[in-house]
Amino acid sequence: MKQAIERGKPPQAAGEAAYRPSLAIRLRRDKWLYLLLLPGLLYFALFKYVPMWGILLAFKNYQPFTGFWKSEWVGLEHFRLFFANPEFFLLLQNTLILSFLNLVFFFPAPIVLALLLNEVRRALFKRVVQTMIYIPHFISMVIVASLTYVFLTTEGGPVNELLLQHTGEKIAFLSDPDWFRPIILLQTIWKECGWGTIIFLAALSAVDVEQYEAATIDGANRWKQIWHITLPAIRSTIVILLILRMGSVLDNGFEQIYLMLNPLNRSAAEVFDTYVYAMGITQGAFSYSTAVGLFKSVVGIILVLGTNWLAKKFGESGLY
Amino acid sequence: MSKRNRSIAGTIFDAANIIFLTACALAAVLPFVYVVAGSFASDAELTSRAVFFIPESLTLDAYKFIFSTDTIMQSIGVSVYVTVIGTAVNLFFTVTMAYALARRGLWGRNFVLNLVIFSMLFGGGMIPTYLVVRGLHLLDSLWSLMLPGAISAFNLIIVKNFFQEIPKEIEDAGRIDGCTELGLLGRIVLPLSMPVLATFTLFYAVGHWNDFFGALLYINDPQKWPLQVMLRQIVLLSQAAAGDMNSMDPSFVAPPDQSIKMAVIVVGTIPILCVYPFLQKHFAKGVLLGSVKG
Amino acid sequence: MKKSTLAGSASRLVLLSSVFAAAMAGCASDSSGNEPAASAPPAASGSPNASPTADKPLALSIMLPIFKTNFPKDDSPVAAELEKRTNTDIHFQWVPNASYGDKFNITLASGNLPSILYVPDVKGPSFVNAVKAGAFWDVTDKLKKYPNLSQSDPVILKNASIDGRNYGVYRGREIGRNGVYYRQDWLESVGLQQPTTIDEFYEMLKAFTEKDPDGNGKHDTYGLVMVKWAPAWGAGFDQIKLWFGAPNNWGTKDGQLTPDFMYDEYFEALKFMKKLYDEKLVNQDFAVMDSAKWTDPIVNGQAGVIIDVVDGAARADLRIHDALAAAGKEDKREHYMDVFGAVKSPDGSIRTLPTAGFSGLLAIPKSSVKTEEEVDKVLAFLDALNEPENLTLVGSGLEGVHYTKLEDNTIQPSDDSALLESEVEGLNQMAPFTPATNLGLDVKQTPLRKKQSEVMAKNRETIVADPSAPFISAVYSQKGQQLGNIINDARIKFIVGQIDEKGWKEAIELWKKSGGDDYVKEINDLYAAAN
Repeated sequence: MKQAIERGKPPQAAGEAAYRPSLAIRLRRDKWLYLLLLPGLLYFALFKYVPMWGILLAFKNYQPFTGFWKSEWVGLEHFRLFFANPEFFLLLQNTLILSFLNLVFFFPAPIVLALLLNEVRRALFKRVVQTMIYIPHFISMVIVASLTYVFLTTEGGPVNELLLQHTGEKIAFLSDPDWFRPIILLQTIWKECGWGTIIFLAALSAVDVEQYEAATIDGANRWKQIWHITLPAIRSTIVILLILRMGSVLDNGFEQIYLMLNPLNRSAAEVFDTYVYAMGITQGAFSYSTAVGLFKSVVGIILVLGTNWLAKKFGESGLY
Repeated sequence: MSKRNRSIAGTIFDAANIIFLTACALAAVLPFVYVVAGSFASDAELTSRAVFFIPESLTLDAYKFIFSTDTIMQSIGVSVYVTVIGTAVNLFFTVTMAYALARRGLWGRNFVLNLVIFSMLFGGGMIPTYLVVRGLHLLDSLWSLMLPGAISAFNLIIVKNFFQEIPKEIEDAGRIDGCTELGLLGRIVLPLSMPVLATFTLFYAVGHWNDFFGALLYINDPQKWPLQVMLRQIVLLSQAAAGDMNSMDPSFVAPPDQSIKMAVIVVGTIPILCVYPFLQKHFAKGVLLGSVKG
Repeated sequence: MKKSTLAGSASRLVLLSSVFAAAMAGCASDSSGNEPAASAPPAASGSPNASPTADKPLALSIMLPIFKTNFPKDDSPVAAELEKRTNTDIHFQWVPNASYGDKFNITLASGNLPSILYVPDVKGPSFVNAVKAGAFWDVTDKLKKYPNLSQSDPVILKNASIDGRNYGVYRGREIGRNGVYYRQDWLESVGLQQPTTIDEFYEMLKAFTEKDPDGNGKHDTYGLVMVKWAPAWGAGFDQIKLWFGAPNNWGTKDGQLTPDFMYDEYFEALKFMKKLYDEKLVNQDFAVMDSAKWTDPIVNGQAGVIIDVVDGAARADLRIHDALAAAGKEDKREHYMDVFGAVKSPDGSIRTLPTAGFSGLLAIPKSSVKTEEEVDKVLAFLDALNEPENLTLVGSGLEGVHYTKLEDNTIQPSDDSALLESEVEGLNQMAPFTPATNLGLDVKQTPLRKKQSEVMAKNRETIVADPSAPFISAVYSQKGQQLGNIINDARIKFIVGQIDEKGWKEAIELWKKSGGDDYVKEINDLYAAAN
């Protein structure tokens, strides 16, 4: 039993090589763990890796009825079409700017909100606020876009009516390219920020209350407590979420952008997702959108693994 | 809890914090209040007033319309079933796999983790997945709404990460008491992870509740459509109307009243919001973890 | 809780592994299932593979879009009556309209095709490719055998064709449906007559904006409501440009097919739009306006004119009555809206924008309907649906149950909308409506509805056809959206004043360079080959 405890521990840096038992022993020792692993493995094999041949569609001219085998191979034609597009760099730029803004403004928002919620002493108040800020998550994007229109239109929208009274001018929020990104960001924060706190609040619930009490006795003020106790408790969750988020840097959430895009703000609004959609509806282009998806995935995985590597450099446990 | 610093700065902070959070909550909820108010208002009022929170005249017409036949009730039944069973399936698959992967010494662990991460970014797409579901004879079965998404790689990695954070001393203590791995998971790790499990129960449940695409692809029998298929149909109808060939139909139905669309959102949101209070009590239970640690 | 989870795990594992084995087997057979139907793949579910004898009902599965959340069940009394009349056994596969496209592609990929498949987009690549792979019956030469289908309109047949052949029965729709509707009470209050020329139309908009048509003493109205344009759809502008003499999509210029926006008349129309915008006779947010709110300003009494479809008039009229009732105001008119087709062009002619004349195809897959005899039976069924009494049945249901017949041979539908939705509405999605007019019984006609019908009938005489309608362009299917965006963005920017005439010309040059020249050449080649 004592030995089992030793082995159950993660290999420590120092005596790792000396302690590592042979493969056969390790397999036998962990048989229950492998049993637990099995359902999940089967799931990934069946529903994720069996359909993986779909990636090959990127190199074909796939048509649903013709089927996979009969559709012609076109090699890198779809990639060529994508990269040779004169708008490629505009799309890349718009996509990256939006992702970057999301990372800077949206990503920390739920963390801050969770920290503030964690500071609330009144349980009832906290619970009511939590429930209220989850609501926007359930409102579909179509409705969010419609509400945005109602609020911001220059024709009788309440925001512009107020502006008109106070400044004597209206602002064409919905058609001005400069306003496109702030509006998208605001929509995202409004819709998902509250919902995003859940995972941090779960992590925070693991923090020992005694630590705060000890800190208080030591004379640490609230900011110090947040900095030295609360934040470290959710640090690894933040890092993991950040790493995973890097995988979708080239995704901007199609529906939202598509709904807010119009001819006057296109210079800021057109991103990969909307562009692929435009190609997709006219072409029914399974292959083309698969190719663009593949490009995004390759970039995503490089960023995920790169960020993970960086995190490890800084002493975080990262994904593994 | 009340023992914390009650300095003046602390009090000011608390007051500012409460004001700020109240503002956030209001900002989050006011548009929804408008939606709720709109669902009880007449079409005429919605057309003429920009934004309001209390309708001038209350009418239940929108709800009467939605619940005029058994279709919606039936689809709510389907949604509840899929949400409950589907979430149980999710938790089983996710927790077992995450627990195994949380063990650093496990042979092959990194390989499996790489497979998981890879699958998060690369996928076969709609048609190949459909062919697998068809191959399994799951078409038109509600299992087609639960099995293909049984594990979210994203959730799996986060749960695994939480498991990894559990202090080894606690597990070791369990082993000394003679627990097997299964016993450890069941008696020690899971009870300690209630906040995390509650979180992912909520994530998965909401995912099932909001899912419509799976049903569109895999379910041909309209009697088995979940609520979201119905709701989306109502909400998007007017969206599709303009510029769409279908509006050339003699049988074309005029877009539903705005109030019906709003009632639809209320109907789709309230049931799942009701789940939250039941889960909420578990969010505090992890405190145990800290006390054992100390 | 987790105890039971663990206990259940063993049985789940067994289930899952058997499922896995099944998947492997399933995948192996997929490749054969995906082969063209010409090689007769395994029988699709619900297909009539037993050869029906004379009295045995023909088994039909039909995949159709549904627009509401209720749908007629297979055993609805209306469906039962139709089955009795046509000696069929019908299974409906309803698909929510909002997602029909995805479901259509999946259905093609799966090979499990119904006996009648609604094809929303005849020129869509997945259908065109399936046709080229031999998936659907060519019905071109068969139609003339049937009393109703033989009356198909040759122009619509041509528009619905692929390389000159028809692979399904088109669902006929009113071709003269486009037009203008406006607040007749406003027009009377500003003392004008229904406009017949562009100038008069402009006068109407100006009066609606400046002459306080609602008589409330405030300057709070405007003329025309427009909503967000799409590349292939310019809200009312598609009609305005025809009034100015521009062609419908493509026109013949110097013996060459030329896109409409290269015409001077098109630019005149743009300048007209710009004038309306600058003088605030049109809503200033038209470039972003939510199309779901199109009629709201009319109903609210903020604006007076919409250029869209003629039958929108009655819908807007109904909403105005409802709004007045809800506000407890006096409802003093039978109708608030009136309607007309188009105003005269500068050369005195009337030019009306046609619709495509059809809304998708009802195609017959070879994999589910195997023999020529069966195809004949399916076509006979579709033909029979055109009989007036069957049109009434699928459109309005059963007399005494879903409607009552009035003296003037019109009908009064039941008030029970739930009953109508769960037994009737949606069934007419399978009706081909081959003859141009609905021969079934119609609901009671109000004067406005009668006027609408007259306007649509008159419109048919003056339509301007799109010469490119029958063609499938390879360039367009690859770059169409991009090309469309260039022009759509430029015209909007011109109207709101972000670019001038020079900018507009530059946009056209950009269009040419971005693939437009190839597109023009291709369309001209196709046109030359077809004529």
